[in-house]
Amino acid sequence: MPAWISLDLITASVSFLLTLMVLSYLVGDNPLFRLAIHIFIGVSAGYAAAMAWHQVLSPKLVQPLLSGNMLERSLILVPLLLGVLLLMKLSPRTARLGNPAMAFMVGAGAAIAVGGAVLGTLFPQILASINLFDLETVGSIPERLFEGSIILIGTLTTLAYFHFSAKATPSGPQSGRLIDVLGGIGQVFIAITFGVLFAGAYAAAMTALIERVYFLLNFIASFL
Amino acid sequence: MKLKGLFSTAIAMATGLIVLVGYFIGAPVLVNLRITILNWVIILAAVAVFIGLFNLLAVHADKIRNKKKGGFFSLMLVLFMLITLLLGLWLRPDHPAMSLIFNAVQLPVETSLMAMLVVTLTYASIRLLHRRYNLFSVIFLATALLILLGSAPLPFIGSVPILSDMIRPFIAQVLAAAGARGILIGVALGALTTGLRVLFGAERPYGGSNPPSGGK
Repeated sequence: MPAWISLDLITASVSFLLTLMVLSYLVGDNPLFRLAIHIFIGVSAGYAAAMAWHQVLSPKLVQPLLSGNMLERSLILVPLLLGVLLLMKLSPRTARLGNPAMAFMVGAGAAIAVGGAVLGTLFPQILASINLFDLETVGSIPERLFEGSIILIGTLTTLAYFHFSAKATPSGPQSGRLIDVLGGIGQVFIAITFGVLFAGAYAAAMTALIERVYFLLNFIASFL
Repeated sequence: MKLKGLFSTAIAMATGLIVLVGYFIGAPVLVNLRITILNWVIILAAVAVFIGLFNLLAVHADKIRNKKKGGFFSLMLVLFMLITLLLGLWLRPDHPAMSLIFNAVQLPVETSLMAMLVVTLTYASIRLLHRRYNLFSVIFLATALLILLGSAPLPFIGSVPILSDMIRPFIAQVLAAAGARGILIGVALGALTTGLRVLFGAERPYGGSNPPSGGK
């Protein structure tokens, strides 16, 4: 390899080409964009599989099976069997055999979701709402009460917006009038929240665009 | 009573209940059992990655074999997937060659896709005003505009006095925090309900047929 071709130059050149190919989508869908996306998907899938092998399957399944003690070897037989059953999902004819392995994953996932929802979201969020009215914390009392009240009203009305139950009447299902009014106020809070999230996503995307344009200009300037 | 899917349902309920009890009761036996089950689930998730990989390979190999439209792109996908996979398995992910693949392919494509969001989001917000012009759309866009104007110093003006130090923090830390808290609690309640339905066997997304509505 000639001395002027360094690893950095290869990385930058490939990066430059792929950036141009992806940004070419701005003038419309085209083969260059599709080629870049297919390469990206291929590389990402291969990379993810290599990571899964080296970080999980090799240390947690293969090594204990080959060099573990009797207890480790017998314990690892369960995920090994479930893994083989899961592989049956690859063929439509044997897919049913993979159901127990899927059930094992879904059961554990549901329990994690329940535990995470209760311990990770519900309790901390409710505690944070209560703490808003803790008058011993820093800041003036009227200011804290004002902000706390708005957050409490916003939280409750947002939850009211997601209240979908309705009373059955001869003219069709009808929701309560109070819930409708509260849900309307909640919709304002939801619009504001999504507006802030939108601004955050927009700012992040703008940062990425500036970084890419800066990279393209720098790469061209390095040859001039 | 139909026995179809009963074995899978029993496995899901037993696994879920053991993990859930291990969360709330700190007895060492239960905690160890929960950790062991979670380790097994991690192994199965890694196997699932390979199932996804084989499926991707099968779909695109079929496109190449039958000379369907976009066959060349499928060929490139399969080629790059196999090269990356073989290099990754042989060299390990922390090898310089793998870093090169990451820095030359994944990073620029991901950043460029993110950069294209600027155009997509701008276009979407303009279309929103055309297609659904109502109070909530106006509030949504006005909030986004105020936050953006208040976040960064503007050319020739710098920070906008009242907007940057009063209005933006109030919107982001009080009004948006209220909505976000409501949404988070709503999502958590939804996750709790769905999780409990799976644990009680009322929902069977793993292939067992769901019981008839009414829980009969």
